[in-house]
Amino acid sequence: MSAVPQEIALPRTFALSPRLERMLIRVATGVVLLVLWELLVRWLAPAFVARPVTVARALPHVLANHVPPGTPTFWGSAEATVIAAFEGLAIGVIAGVLVGLTMGRLRIADRLLRFYVNAFFAMPIIAMVPVMTLWFGFSSSVRLAIVSLGAFLPICLNVYDGTRSLPTNFVEVAQSYRARWWNVWFGIALPASLPYVLAGFRLAVGRVLVGATVAEYIVSLKGLGYYIVYDGRTFHQPDMMVAVLFLALLGVAINAAADLATRRLLPWYRRSG
Amino acid sequence: MTALGGVARGPAISIAGLVAGALVWQLIGAHTQASSFATFTATCSALWAMTKSGELPRALESSLELFAIGLAFAIVIGFFGGLLLARIRVLRIGLEPYILMLYATPMFALIPLLLSLFGFELRAKVIVVALFGVWPILINTTEGARSVNADLLEVAESYRSNERQLWRHVIIPYTLPYAMTGVRQGIARSLVGMLASEYLLAATGLGNLILTYTNRFDTAHVLAAVLVITLLATILMGIGRGIENYFARWKAGV
Repeated sequence: MSAVPQEIALPRTFALSPRLERMLIRVATGVVLLVLWELLVRWLAPAFVARPVTVARALPHVLANHVPPGTPTFWGSAEATVIAAFEGLAIGVIAGVLVGLTMGRLRIADRLLRFYVNAFFAMPIIAMVPVMTLWFGFSSSVRLAIVSLGAFLPICLNVYDGTRSLPTNFVEVAQSYRARWWNVWFGIALPASLPYVLAGFRLAVGRVLVGATVAEYIVSLKGLGYYIVYDGRTFHQPDMMVAVLFLALLGVAINAAADLATRRLLPWYRRSG
Repeated sequence: MTALGGVARGPAISIAGLVAGALVWQLIGAHTQASSFATFTATCSALWAMTKSGELPRALESSLELFAIGLAFAIVIGFFGGLLLARIRVLRIGLEPYILMLYATPMFALIPLLLSLFGFELRAKVIVVALFGVWPILINTTEGARSVNADLLEVAESYRSNERQLWRHVIIPYTLPYAMTGVRQGIARSLVGMLASEYLLAATGLGNLILTYTNRFDTAHVLAAVLVITLLATILMGIGRGIENYFARWKAGV
């Protein structure tokens, strides 16, 4: 038997529950990765490069906001970035659902807008950041515009796909019961494309975080993107890594929340695979 | 409405949409300062001027070189890493949470760290592009290789396939469509990585064009560069979708 997920059947002298076994393997791998990082940086990299030990040492003063005056604080930056990310996601979800539904239900809107939505979706949205500084000035409006666009495009395209794949007999039955257009749009098409909204949302989270941090860096806005670059340039790499870890956890947390919401709100929808 | 009319009407509306977009662009440009928004025609002439002077082709070549090398690394590492993860259970279980975490991290945040380790020349930038693109390829390949139909493996075994033949004729062909879905997503992410590394590491290529002309308040040239990037991205995404469909064609009948 040489199937790909090959399990080596060793005679078990003692049995661990599969759950516990997974946990142990994961923790052990984490420890190995941390040790590797520590040793490799110690041996090969300059002294200012962050190692797990120095990051752990930086953790208390970073989380307590103990920094010299005039330098960005961690919590202030985190707050700015998180609020901007959620504003962008909120705007993106609302606008994306409305435009996606319109494009999915109205042929003419589809024909008129398809090209633009696809082009903007394909384009790395951060290409627009510098020119937006000319439009909005060096202000947080640039970040808001970037995160909103970053969230809008994947959600809009996914809602469009969801609406297009709506079984026609749903609509026919509804219409034979004299459903008005808004009944079809918001009573049938929207609920049917909710799984697509969630798939779009997951894509949007990644785009929003990248967009927000790049905008913060280029515009020099208070936020984690600026915090990271600032600490990186002033040789405070351990402080910087705390923010990087925070961003990683933030991405994981938002996606986990979306998964939980899917299971709670859409129990009829099971993701394939 | 005849069928023919329906066929002709769709593209007509699409073209009308494009023309309307160009007109709106022209109008906005004509009624704002040139330093904040250039007209469509000014953008087109800037595009032509940059092409003629060789500035744009050079930038495009430099960006594409970076993109291609980075994506190649991402594909090779993602594909073989994915097969390895599917094959070795301990490795997969152990690394899965960390891979998902890295996938969710905005890779931009790691650029300053990479800068201190690898400098800011081509090598560091290639690593950034590869790091942006590798995760979807890795994850999709792992998923694909794990989901190989057990029936297929049994048939292959009952015909006495050895390990190498099993990989060559069953597992890798089965995994490729999944991997190519990852490659399509990786192309989009690597493109973001390309721009991000050009912004933050040594400024070259299209990212450099955008930054330079923004600093000169020359919106015509900036918009021209953005237009080129949009075109490039659309073409690359089209290629990605083409590759995905090509490898997925045997799945259509299933």
